[in-house]
Amino acid sequence: MNREIVLECRHISHWFGRKKVLHDVDLKIIRGEIVALVGPSGCGKSTLLRAIVGTHPPCQGEVLIRSGAGAEAKLVGGPGRDRGIVYQQYSLFPFLTARENVALGPMLDQTDIPFRLLPFTGWRKIRKQHLQEADELLETLKLGEAVNLYPHEMSGGMRQRVAIAQALIMRPTILLLDEPFGALDEATREELQTMLLTLYAENCTRKAQGQTPAHTILIVTHELNEALYVGDRVLALSQYWNWKAAGFQEHPGATIIYDRVAPVFLPDQEMEYEVLRAQRKTIRATAFEEQFSQSRNAQIRFWEEIEAGKGMGVLQ
Amino acid sequence: MLRKPLSKKISLLLGLGAIVGLMGLYTLISYWQHQINPADSTIPTWTQLGDGVRKIIEINPRDNQRWIILDSHATAMRLGMGLVFGILGAVVLGLLMGCFDVWEALLVPPMSLLAKVPPTAALAVFFVMVGTGDNMFVTMIAFGILPSLSQSVYLSVREIPEEMLFKAYTLGATRTELIWDIIFQMILPKILDAVRLQIGPAMVYLIAAEMVVGDVGFGYRIRLQSRLMNMNVVYPYLALLAGFGFAMDYSLRKLQQAGFVWYVRKN
Repeated sequence: MNREIVLECRHISHWFGRKKVLHDVDLKIIRGEIVALVGPSGCGKSTLLRAIVGTHPPCQGEVLIRSGAGAEAKLVGGPGRDRGIVYQQYSLFPFLTARENVALGPMLDQTDIPFRLLPFTGWRKIRKQHLQEADELLETLKLGEAVNLYPHEMSGGMRQRVAIAQALIMRPTILLLDEPFGALDEATREELQTMLLTLYAENCTRKAQGQTPAHTILIVTHELNEALYVGDRVLALSQYWNWKAAGFQEHPGATIIYDRVAPVFLPDQEMEYEVLRAQRKTIRATAFEEQFSQSRNAQIRFWEEIEAGKGMGVLQ
Repeated sequence: MLRKPLSKKISLLLGLGAIVGLMGLYTLISYWQHQINPADSTIPTWTQLGDGVRKIIEINPRDNQRWIILDSHATAMRLGMGLVFGILGAVVLGLLMGCFDVWEALLVPPMSLLAKVPPTAALAVFFVMVGTGDNMFVTMIAFGILPSLSQSVYLSVREIPEEMLFKAYTLGATRTELIWDIIFQMILPKILDAVRLQIGPAMVYLIAAEMVVGDVGFGYRIRLQSRLMNMNVVYPYLALLAGFGFAMDYSLRKLQQAGFVWYVRKN
């Protein structure tokens, strides 16, 4: 099976002052995946994500992104329209309504300021198309009644949905979610998880029809259940590995020490805690418990697992 | 109970009552004063005040013009021009300071120093630089409000969470688009807030300067008539000033409510 790598992190290391937080992080993401990234708080998940977004380049190493099938891999030099991002907060612009927020991307991307300000450029017509496109996207995400609301008039869950729509309308090569549901209550959280699973199901359908999956997602979360539920692959970034045995005098920082496939759920399928239990236990022991330090490669099994046909969903 | 909400009708009545009460108190004091000295002009009676008002709005035989038009025109032009230039300058400088580190390092220290100099104290400087005409008043107001206004603009740019700016970049914004389509739109209502706060100081600067060097305008007229003890002219002028300031503040607030629903409703 042809597996297209859309994002690649090569030997990323990062320091804050003299303290090293990320150590030699290597990561490849396949088109169509939902990768969940977990890890103890303060392990550098956000630092890694910022390196991928491009807002805070890593001290060492590089991030590569490959937009279309067969396209050249491009070195990430800063934030760009090929990587969408949804933050836990402040993803939406408070001065725009939901539809305007969603239509903002096409506007910034396709037109420039003189085009919008000068008369007779056809901007109004294009703007109308953008807004209509935004309305349609919001409609499919079940936000039809929210199109004219300002962010402060929406509930937290609505805001995050609109923020996802805002990123999706750009058709990003990869969608990055930084603890997107962290501030939401349980029920809303589940709704949004279902929404991600719907996107994933779309991917699976497209794949079955021989098309390229449309959405590739990297979600950073501190919730293990969430990671296993929405992801088809779970990564753990952690500082708890046996770096002394690897010959380091000082702690070299966190790195990816867990990388395995995760069970795939359908959007209408309840989360089955029992199914996830064993895997959750392993992740907890590997990445969250200091006394349980293993070699950093002990749980990096993803690639051999998908070779062995253990991947589900788009990884089949 | 403390802070128990009052019905709209009652609070309106109370507000009106306070104003009527003040006027009643004035009438009483003026009456007492005229019992002592029937020719008194320091606390004019309502009839005397009426005469004063007539003097203001009727054509003055001396210069064949109406004071009210003469003075309002002069003062409003000076204030308006001063505000326009001051606001434009402050927005440009504030944006530069808020968006670019070099400009921030360059401009923030002098601005925080200049904000502490009362422009009326520096009147002589403007005097020397641009002469005594209307230009001087305009320059003084503009430079008077510019430092603190540009600081407000700068701070409101800095208040924008960086996530929003990163987000805009991932939506394909260029640097210019980021400033114009995101930052500027975000701070516009805050600029209006800051301008509302600066109208008071701007009026103080202008009136004080007109009192010192003006030959027309509210400040000039008030000083002249105060010297002549014509309080029946001075009081209506003060009332006019109050109305002037209130009207400006009110229209800015209405503008904000109409133009920036997201901002007004959120706060």
